[in-house]
Amino acid sequence: MEKILMKGNEALAEGAIIAGCKAFFGYPITPSSEIAEYMARKFPKIDGVFVQAESELAAINMVYGGAATGHRVMTASSGPGISLKQEGISFIAEAELPCLIVNVSRGGPGLGGIQPAQSDYFQATRGGGHGDYRLIVLAPSGVQEMMDFAIEGFDLADRYRTPVMIMAEGTLGQMMEPIIVREPVIQFYDKPWATNGCQGREPNIVNTLHLSADYLEERNHHLQKKYDAIASREKRAESYLTEDADLVVVAFGLMARIAKKAVMEARKSGIKVGLIRPITLWPFPDAEISKAAQTTKRFLSVEISMGQMIEDIRLAVAGRVPVDFFGRIGITPNPEEVFRAIMQVAEREGI
Amino acid sequence: MAKVIIFAGGFGSGKSELAINYALDRSQYAENIILADLDLVNPYFASRYVRDLLEASGIRVLAPAGDLSCGDVPGLPPEIIGFLRGNDEIIIDVAGDEVGSMVLGYLSRYIKDSDYQLYLVLNPYRPFAQDLDSVMELRLLLEGAARLTFTGLISNPNLMGETNPEMIRNGHQIVSDYAQAMRLPVCHLTVEEKFYHDLVCEYGTILQTITLYLKPEWMQ
Repeated sequence: MEKILMKGNEALAEGAIIAGCKAFFGYPITPSSEIAEYMARKFPKIDGVFVQAESELAAINMVYGGAATGHRVMTASSGPGISLKQEGISFIAEAELPCLIVNVSRGGPGLGGIQPAQSDYFQATRGGGHGDYRLIVLAPSGVQEMMDFAIEGFDLADRYRTPVMIMAEGTLGQMMEPIIVREPVIQFYDKPWATNGCQGREPNIVNTLHLSADYLEERNHHLQKKYDAIASREKRAESYLTEDADLVVVAFGLMARIAKKAVMEARKSGIKVGLIRPITLWPFPDAEISKAAQTTKRFLSVEISMGQMIEDIRLAVAGRVPVDFFGRIGITPNPEEVFRAIMQVAEREGI
Repeated sequence: MAKVIIFAGGFGSGKSELAINYALDRSQYAENIILADLDLVNPYFASRYVRDLLEASGIRVLAPAGDLSCGDVPGLPPEIIGFLRGNDEIIIDVAGDEVGSMVLGYLSRYIKDSDYQLYLVLNPYRPFAQDLDSVMELRLLLEGAARLTFTGLISNPNLMGETNPEMIRNGHQIVSDYAQAMRLPVCHLTVEEKFYHDLVCEYGTILQTITLYLKPEWMQ
């Protein structure tokens, strides 16, 4: 199959089109803007809808409206813009509207900078918005996965009637790799709940205001049941050389790829080190971590942040073994730095 | 009169790598080489990140300075206009697409009076460079934004680490067909050093080798 050289942002946008995405609503922000630019260029030619909204708030509410019609719709932004969208995301989660929300993330807090970061982990996995809701969060680690996860993301969103987030570091959005362009998705889910014209049936209503206390609680139990089902079926991770590992590195996204190189180097130096790469950040693949905790002596969380995923690792480890941390922000650690961090832990702990 | 060489094109066509390589090559023969990194759109993979390497070869680097080197706001190095009015050899690297070439529109009044070459860099394995209509549209958008006319094409067919000689041949043929349809010469065919010997007999002097400076080591 012929390959094409794509930027991560372009691959994600094309993946969304392949998945049948019909509308994009967004407001540009570095390093995510190429997704909007790609859609602006492509959608007029394929009968899609591209709207540059007046703000992130408007964009996410347009996603609410678009998704309510039953079409596959999306938005993309970066940390500060995703913060602005949080109210709308909470509404979308409660209205059970499937959609794709992309965070090509940069360093915060505040306006921060436009260098790559993973410091929106808490925001993505804990929900920056109000109420008891969850997002499925996928973390690609290469340009091919930017495309594949966009397709997968829409599928998960429709299957569970829930918003799905793809979180990718800025570098992943900007870097180029040769990829295989996937075949267009041709099978779609029925959406009997969609507000797409009610001739011959009762109108569908998409609403998130529930003034009755009983009904509000019922809605929350309903959502929780759905999140439990997602958590039991959709946890994803990749493990590499963990069976005999005395030290297990945990890293996601692009960082996992860099960490893998460091792990390979450390193995050459005789250190029994392995790697777990969470692919879904929520639901977090705690079973994979828990299994490794039975045999390994230590974990090392490597993140482009000041340490956020480490909390989920500690929850999964449940105090059985210590969890160390290595991270930078604004600067993506290279394989040599991660290798040094591994060796430092290994020497200190006699691994 | 300044001699100005400008690399423009779509996002990810290879402009920055070509500008760096061209500047390093020219620095072997001349002392007054300037590389102007005018990528004001997005600071990822910009030629200013190899400033030390360029300066070590005697190249003067004009680029958004200090904190602004990591910014996505218009921060044009002010000296550029003075240099365009001088007698140096200035290599200009702009950001991709029409948004990237817009900076040339502002500078075009100074560039027009110089001895300039404006190259359209094409990699036919990139989106929006895969058919003639898209390339013609790109050309129109870039020339409109730059208020300058292209003087030639640079053929840069590659799939990064997965490139092979056959792919270069096929890709270059596509670019040559675009060139004929657009009535522009193909001035260079750029390939990594390892392909040079396989291809030099077929392509002769238009074949130029490049080294990739901006690709992170972990991507190899």
